[in-house]
Amino acid sequence: MTAVEDPRPEVAGGTDGPDSSVTFALTVDGTAHEVTARWDESLLTVLRDRLGVRGPKTGCAHGRCGACAVKADLGDGGHVLCSCLVPAATAAGGTVETIASIGGPDGALSDVQEAFLAEGAVQCGICTSGFVTAATELLDTNPDPTRTEIEAALYGNLCRCTGYGRIVAAVETAARTRRGDA
Amino acid sequence: MDGGIGSSVRRPDGPAKVRGEFSYAGDLTADGMLVGVTLRSPHPHARILRLDTAAARAMDGVHAVLTCDDVPGDRQFGLVLRDEPVLADGVVRYAGEPVAVVAAVDAATARRAARAVEVDYEVLPALTDPQLSLTAASVHPDGNVYRHVSYSCGDPDARGVVTVENTYRIGMQDPAFLAPEAGLARPTPDGGVAIEVATQWLHSDQRQIGWATGLPPEKVHVSLAGVGGAFGGREDVTLQVHACLLALATGRPVKIEYTREESFLAHRQRHPGTIWLRHSADADGRIVSVEGRVLLDGGAYASTSPVVITNTVTLLQGPYRVDNGRFEGWSVRTNNPSCGAMRGFGVPQAAFAHEAQLDALAAALGIDPVEIRLTNALQRGDVATFGQRFDAPTPVREVIEGLRAVPLPSGPAKPPGGVGRSGGGEVRRGVGWAVSIKNLAFSEGHVDESTAEVSLRDGHATVHTACAEVGQGFVTVAEQVARTVLGATSVDVVQPDTLVASAGSTSASRQTMASGTAVHRACLAVRDRMLGRVARAHGLDAATLTVADGVVCAAGRPLGPVATAAPGQTFRATEHFQHPATHPLGSGAGGMYVAFGFSAQRAVVDVDVELGLVSVVQIASCQDVGTVVNPTQLLGQIEGGIVQGMGLALMEEVVVVGGLITNPDLQDYLIPTIVDAPEIVSTYVTDPEPGMPHGWKGVGEPPLVTAVPVVAAAVRAATGLPLPAVPIRPEHIALGIGQAPTVTWTTPRAADPDRPRGPVVDEEPHDAPGTMAEEGAPAGG
Ligand code: FES
Ligand code: FES
Repeated sequence: MTAVEDPRPEVAGGTDGPDSSVTFALTVDGTAHEVTARWDESLLTVLRDRLGVRGPKTGCAHGRCGACAVKADLGDGGHVLCSCLVPAATAAGGTVETIASIGGPDGALSDVQEAFLAEGAVQCGICTSGFVTAATELLDTNPDPTRTEIEAALYGNLCRCTGYGRIVAAVETAARTRRGDA
Repeated sequence: MDGGIGSSVRRPDGPAKVRGEFSYAGDLTADGMLVGVTLRSPHPHARILRLDTAAARAMDGVHAVLTCDDVPGDRQFGLVLRDEPVLADGVVRYAGEPVAVVAAVDAATARRAARAVEVDYEVLPALTDPQLSLTAASVHPDGNVYRHVSYSCGDPDARGVVTVENTYRIGMQDPAFLAPEAGLARPTPDGGVAIEVATQWLHSDQRQIGWATGLPPEKVHVSLAGVGGAFGGREDVTLQVHACLLALATGRPVKIEYTREESFLAHRQRHPGTIWLRHSADADGRIVSVEGRVLLDGGAYASTSPVVITNTVTLLQGPYRVDNGRFEGWSVRTNNPSCGAMRGFGVPQAAFAHEAQLDALAAALGIDPVEIRLTNALQRGDVATFGQRFDAPTPVREVIEGLRAVPLPSGPAKPPGGVGRSGGGEVRRGVGWAVSIKNLAFSEGHVDESTAEVSLRDGHATVHTACAEVGQGFVTVAEQVARTVLGATSVDVVQPDTLVASAGSTSASRQTMASGTAVHRACLAVRDRMLGRVARAHGLDAATLTVADGVVCAAGRPLGPVATAAPGQTFRATEHFQHPATHPLGSGAGGMYVAFGFSAQRAVVDVDVELGLVSVVQIASCQDVGTVVNPTQLLGQIEGGIVQGMGLALMEEVVVVGGLITNPDLQDYLIPTIVDAPEIVSTYVTDPEPGMPHGWKGVGEPPLVTAVPVVAAAVRAATGLPLPAVPIRPEHIALGIGQAPTVTWTTPRAADPDRPRGPVVDEEPHDAPGTMAEEGAPAGG
């Protein structure tokens, strides 16, 4: 767990409450929330325990496994990060998209989600929302990744079940589908 | 049929998992829920002089603080032996042992309360060296030896022309499943308790909760919560009993969710071990005799230590014919972390050692490493050193030949990437081979059974078992069986619980064989009932009716879809399956093991010899799988197992210093990342297992078992170093740490033909285990 020793940065829209908590605005999967959280709470804790958003998972809580990956725009344009490493208060005023924001039209699965199922890239699945989030970001920014680029993009996500072979296959399949040469 | 046996059906729980909507144990919540936290011993061995919970109990928001005095039933529990306190009872025997549990309104309050529990310890000397365990004062009333096994077969003193001996060491591996332990317990209106928990064996949990709470089994309901990986690490009870005691004490739902660090402290690891082996062979490389000795460190409490040791010792022969041998082993108690089940269950330790020996023999004799394995390969009809005849398909040659057909990867050696990132010094490529044997299912008399309840209505099937789905894919197999046998158009696999009879543990590569077969039998019974009804309705002879591709056929001619064969009628059946009985080592009554799986692998590695960094380029595998039930899932099991075995070979070790784990997190305990994972080429030998539907057999463990020796063999080939210990660390390579096998040229001595062929079990050890160190153990590890 990231311990933040009372950093008290200027927080957009944030107000200090009693018991060293802070109240701030956070948009999660398109829904605006007003969150009151302690300064030492991670974005992952706020998402899961305060907002009941259970898509991001807790694997290690110290930035090593990627199970908690979300796409967050903290005023920097937005990218995938480990929500367990971000003090929630520093996300004040920001926008978070979790796995719940990834999907095809009309409740269908996205191409990446479909590929993960088709290629057997899901076993216990605790790593899956993190992998799908990171793989979606990769393909959104690089529709034709090499094997090395796939590894570089997913290096922060651990999977204990699959041995990764099926996950690489899923990303390659999704990329082919996206390019239309499936 | 589409979606039936043999097709790559998608996981039924897959859509929820890729959406992040699948509910894991850590996602559980309930109205009025309290949070449970465990206070653990900081010492590996200590006497508790004073334990005062008054201050903690008095804190706002704290609902219960329990110690061993608050356990209403039996204070001791355990998976195999009841030797472990539910909460420390006067003494702690490992660092991390639960001393007290707290339930409070939230996690922060519960943690504060746990810190407020006052404990005075008298620190006792910690027994941390397993070699000393046999002679040291006992650290537990049950003594220090979990089990000693010793047996011989044929004439162990027979000799060929060359003898190779060495001592091998294997480190402690953590299952490191990605979802830490979690569960939610609630009191039930009948005075009982219900728990949803991520586990591998619901009925074992139920039994142990019953002991501690004093409740009868019918008042303890265990159901499976979503499991984020297991690999053996969830076979033992961790938080189950504590959560139930807290729920009963507070009258409220109580959730416990471990942190990653706590997970390392709380669950069982793979046994670290020392193995001494002496192989003697004739000039053609034929094995004449094998002598082996094993010492496994079981840690503070028994768990499966009395069982694992037999696997290691008996499978020291490897997948090779051995007529003459002498084998002995101990699993012992120390004040180190408790060890128990982990994927491979004692056999990776054996395989690492016997495969190094085969390579050393081949090198001494100037024989190709593949040829020496073919020369000695077990065949159907051979008798194992432990007396069991291999009377099912034994395709050892076939997996070796199948692997030989896979071309080697081309291209030059490259500097290692990933954890072994390298600056580009001298990089050498190495190729290694390994073959393994793994027993499948429970052994030595443990009842291996499962029960399935199946119903069918208008083509919709429901399957209910107590088989824990931990990610391995049983839910998919169950669905495939129902589609194939019943012609079901949709299948619902009910969340497992203890309302149906035990399915045993999801371990030992056994659930397709045990629960899959129970489901198969129940589906057959349901099908027969349905066909009986159709026969009566149509005035046909039921014996002429079949189900094929979802259609009921009369004498091969389609009558109509199963979905409309008996509108509105529900057909049900409950069937039980039990493997043929097995028998303890040396009982002479019959086989120890239910079945075996064989696997051959070839690894290609690139090694930066100056920095000691290794990149695994490719692992090719040929595995004996009985039959292919689901091609995609099979590939997933093999690839996952290989990477986990590669982890043990190169990077994974729970480092224990003075009884304390120094790396209880994923920062310092390294598991392979996507960059570390090699290309995997997977091929199969299919030779149906007798007595199993479709000839299926377990597949989950052999890939890991073989991957450990094969990676080590390839690194040896690249470096020329003996590397007798895993994980192979950079310093082992860069500094050349390790001791080569001793090779002795001897005068051949034929086996005594009058010696009995079967195993002769000895009551007493041949020698003190301390002599292992004198028999060639490297100083480092
Ligand atoms: S839980 Fe955030 S990286 Fe592991
Ligand atoms: S599927 Fe289990 S951790 Fe990836």
